[in-house]
Amino acid sequence: MPHFIGVIIDEKRMEKIKGTPLEKEIKDMFGGALKMIAVPIPEEKSKEVLKAFDKARIDSRGYIEDVPVAFRRAVFEEMIKAKSLNIIDNVLARISEIQEAAKKEDEYIPPPEVE
Amino acid sequence: MPLLRMPPPHGGKLVDSVVKNKDRAEKLAAGCVRFELKPTTDAKGVPIRHVYREIMSVCYGFFSPLEGSMVREELERVLKERRLLSEWIFPYPILFDVSEEDYKALGVKEGDRLLLTLKGQPFATLDIEEIYKIDPIDVATRTFGTPEKNPEVVRQPFDDKHPGYVIYKFHQPVIFGGKYTIINEPKFKEPYDRFWFPPAKCREVIKNVKKWRTCIAHQTRNVPHVGHEMLMKCAAFTGDVEPCGGILVNAIIGAKRKGDYPDEAILEGHEAVNKYGYIKPERHIVTMTLWDMRYGNPIESLLHGIIRQNMGCTHHMFGRDHAAVGEYYDMYATQILWTKGIPSFGFEAPPNEVDYGLKILPQNMAEFWYCPKCGEVAYSETCGHSKEKQKFSGSFVRGIVSEGIFPPNVIFRPEVYKVIVKWWKVYGYPFVNNKYLKLKAQELEVDVPPLEIPKA
Ligand SMILES: [Zn+2]
Repeated sequence: MPHFIGVIIDEKRMEKIKGTPLEKEIKDMFGGALKMIAVPIPEEKSKEVLKAFDKARIDSRGYIEDVPVAFRRAVFEEMIKAKSLNIIDNVLARISEIQEAAKKEDEYIPPPEVE
Repeated sequence: MPLLRMPPPHGGKLVDSVVKNKDRAEKLAAGCVRFELKPTTDAKGVPIRHVYREIMSVCYGFFSPLEGSMVREELERVLKERRLLSEWIFPYPILFDVSEEDYKALGVKEGDRLLLTLKGQPFATLDIEEIYKIDPIDVATRTFGTPEKNPEVVRQPFDDKHPGYVIYKFHQPVIFGGKYTIINEPKFKEPYDRFWFPPAKCREVIKNVKKWRTCIAHQTRNVPHVGHEMLMKCAAFTGDVEPCGGILVNAIIGAKRKGDYPDEAILEGHEAVNKYGYIKPERHIVTMTLWDMRYGNPIESLLHGIIRQNMGCTHHMFGRDHAAVGEYYDMYATQILWTKGIPSFGFEAPPNEVDYGLKILPQNMAEFWYCPKCGEVAYSETCGHSKEKQKFSGSFVRGIVSEGIFPPNVIFRPEVYKVIVKWWKVYGYPFVNNKYLKLKAQELEVDVPPLEIPKA
């Protein structure tokens, strides 16, 4: 059974997805209050993800959670580049760069602008 | 059944070991050897506990009838049967620990009084009744149990990934048992000052200000998402002839594990729930207890029962995985304790059905999830759409937060989320990390006013 990375689609991300084949992959969560794309990750690849990030874990729904923001961002970027969900290899190819960025995330994550 | 009333404090009487008269305080501490309190740190030097929090909780009566650091016989009794020498149930070792070097340097003996200073100022005294040594790893192991000795609920051996186990493991080996007395009241800083309701005051507020005959306690170490809010609202329908009059949120304030929210955000997040009317303030109060959480699931639930009974609550909500981290305990361990008891921990019956037990009534709750079919946040034992359910998993919610996505109203109330962002801006991080723990250990929740103590 594959695992998943849930990529939350907010308005900014939606603009990049509109008109691409990814649009039909969007799922509603919480009654449509949240949009999400579930990227399937074959089990042997999800093991690599868990190995790369010590806090990462698979939750009861089979989603890989507690991964760095940099990892989620990379998943989205690769998804947009390839216009496909079959992108985990492209993400894993960047893993050392992502791990480097993730280290900084233990100290600082920029707060969002909220009025 | 007669109508429920506020239960008496655990042990019958609230401990009040806070000396407010300056002359008396000076006399108590005059000529004493001084010792500056310091945080307990883990293998990497990260602060994970500060004994001042335990001294505060003891002296202000949160842990009544416990009056101080346990003597050896009491420690053994607590580890074996979870009872004090006075018979009243109590779950955790509470110890004043010092290193061998500090012990030598202090040169104190049994019968001496030690003046404990905090941030350089006189804070409390400890009347040393007994000096003895512990093996911290042994205390840590017996505190939480093992799969062999506690097969009812312990599923895997405790290790260095469990923050409570680590707290006891890094206790210093020399213990001074004896009574604590606060001689110089610390002043709480903002925002903590708004949430400080020691048991005597809290009982007073419940009775005379809120006028609640019954009140259900909600344990928290979290900023409340809508799932927590629904748990509070629904559990509060418990009561007797009517739902509970009030909901008392009691936040555990102290060193927490990485990934939990900062204490300030937890308190103000819960406050936002009543400030913006999701549960109106007439029915809701946010309070706190100083305690470096041990994440001991059933063991922790006993301490929660004691604290909240002392604060004047009639009921206490207990969830699945109550005060838990990882999979060390059965996810229902707390509920097993409060419905059947756990004999290997000294409970042949639930803690509220044994002699010298608790009077607070448990309200065991299952889970709340979002159901798209019901179109609402639903109770797991009510909603029949478990296939469609969307859980408020802590890690999922943390993921949304750290990505900086404004969460929808069904996950976080906007006012609650803004509290997270407010403290995120202060600390540059939405969650507890090493930097926050270090800063917190320095700053603490309080300042201590200057007090001159005569030399002799
Ligand atoms: Zn449903």
